Amino acid sequence: MASLFQQSMPSTGPGYSFASAPTHHSSSGPRQHAFYPYTDNGGSTLGISGATFTILAGDTRSTSGYNINSRYAPKLFRIGGDGPENEGARIVLSVVGFAADGNALKERLDTMVKMYRYQHGKEISVHACAQRLSHILYGKRFFPYYVTAILGGLDDEGKGALYSYDPVGSYEREQCRAAGAASSLIMPFLDNQVNLKNQYDPASGEGLEKVMRVPEPLPQETVEQLVRDAFTSAVERHIEVGDGLQMMIITKEGVQETFTPLKKD
Amino acid sequence: MVGKDCVAIACDLRLGLQALTVSNNFPKIFSYGSQVHLGLTGLATDVSSVSELFRYKVNMYRLREERDISPQTFANLVSSSLYERRFGPWFVSPVVAGINQTDGKPFICGFDSIGCIDFAKDFIVSGTASDQLFGTCEGLWEPNLGPEDLFETISQALLNAVDRDALSGWGAHVYIIEKDKVTKRLLKGRQD
Repeated sequence: MASLFQQSMPSTGPGYSFASAPTHHSSSGPRQHAFYPYTDNGGSTLGISGATFTILAGDTRSTSGYNINSRYAPKLFRIGGDGPENEGARIVLSVVGFAADGNALKERLDTMVKMYRYQHGKEISVHACAQRLSHILYGKRFFPYYVTAILGGLDDEGKGALYSYDPVGSYEREQCRAAGAASSLIMPFLDNQVNLKNQYDPASGEGLEKVMRVPEPLPQETVEQLVRDAFTSAVERHIEVGDGLQMMIITKEGVQETFTPLKKD
Repeated sequence: MVGKDCVAIACDLRLGLQALTVSNNFPKIFSYGSQVHLGLTGLATDVSSVSELFRYKVNMYRLREERDISPQTFANLVSSSLYERRFGPWFVSPVVAGINQTDGKPFICGFDSIGCIDFAKDFIVSGTASDQLFGTCEGLWEPNLGPEDLFETISQALLNAVDRDALSGWGAHVYIIEKDKVTKRLLKGRQD
């Protein structure tokens, strides 16, 4: 279901900033004012889950139109844990689309997860957190958070869990998902390399005898390299992606965060 | 897509009117002479017209010059022919691939609908799945691939890209062009 919205934001062109929002201006007649509450801040995110870990990644460029607002604006957030720094958090949320909505959504979900522990005396599970996030998004069905969210963590069995959303809360658990401006570039690459789509066992026969390769959870080093390859490729061909790559690796030890520079052009 | 002493060009087989599939056997690659290949995406009537226009022009070239056209010459012919229609363009975005018989070097290039040439060292993409193709090609391609590896790379790049585009697919044609040999392969792909 989330794939319905993989093209993400409203227009195919670069998004408008508040100053350059389309106004139908004519010299005669009453002056009309317009306020468009959304901006597309570009960027891309990516999540892949493995047997014992989940990796979320996002570039750190924030754009409006052809301008760069920031070269370091994180799209990955720790959810839950202790205090404002979310120490000991086990769930990570990534948001791409309209950055202000992304931040508001992060704050809401973080508060909900902390309230859950206060009220129930235990940490929230990822699947419960995933469903809660869906409800938060659907709660604003008619004035949505303009974001594509990806939630990552470990499930009750300690396996990697990854949930992807559309802006109004339709969600699905998946092995991998790319979102944002370069999702159309990254997703088919992931289909091929993670889910082994269009790949057949060379040892099997010809024609109808051919056997498709079966996707298995990948080792952590392989996934990290795939994420880097996906983003360096996206940076080459998409102007809204670049500057830096932020990665969060969720294992039973906790959340490990890394940052690697990307091309700034 | 360029390899070591070889080039490859591939297309899907779908012909559609927006979401309605009209045909599932509509190749978009045409050969002119032994080595030069032209891929055409866009408005189907123009794909047919333009491919036949170039067949005529290349045949006239061959009669006058008594030799096959080189990919570079053909690229300039495509460019000037498209720019002739500057204010009423053919709605196509062509791709040229071939090997120059004089120096044996691979050559590829792409065009916009009015003939601006994009000379690329690695790969050219065009059509409704161009975004997806940029992603897969950028991720899978590497320099100096041999003919068999180049075939695998271009096939995987195309099949996985068209599977993420609702307007492309229904199998594929792949041409591997070497100096003295052209291999055409038909890929089944997903039929949905």
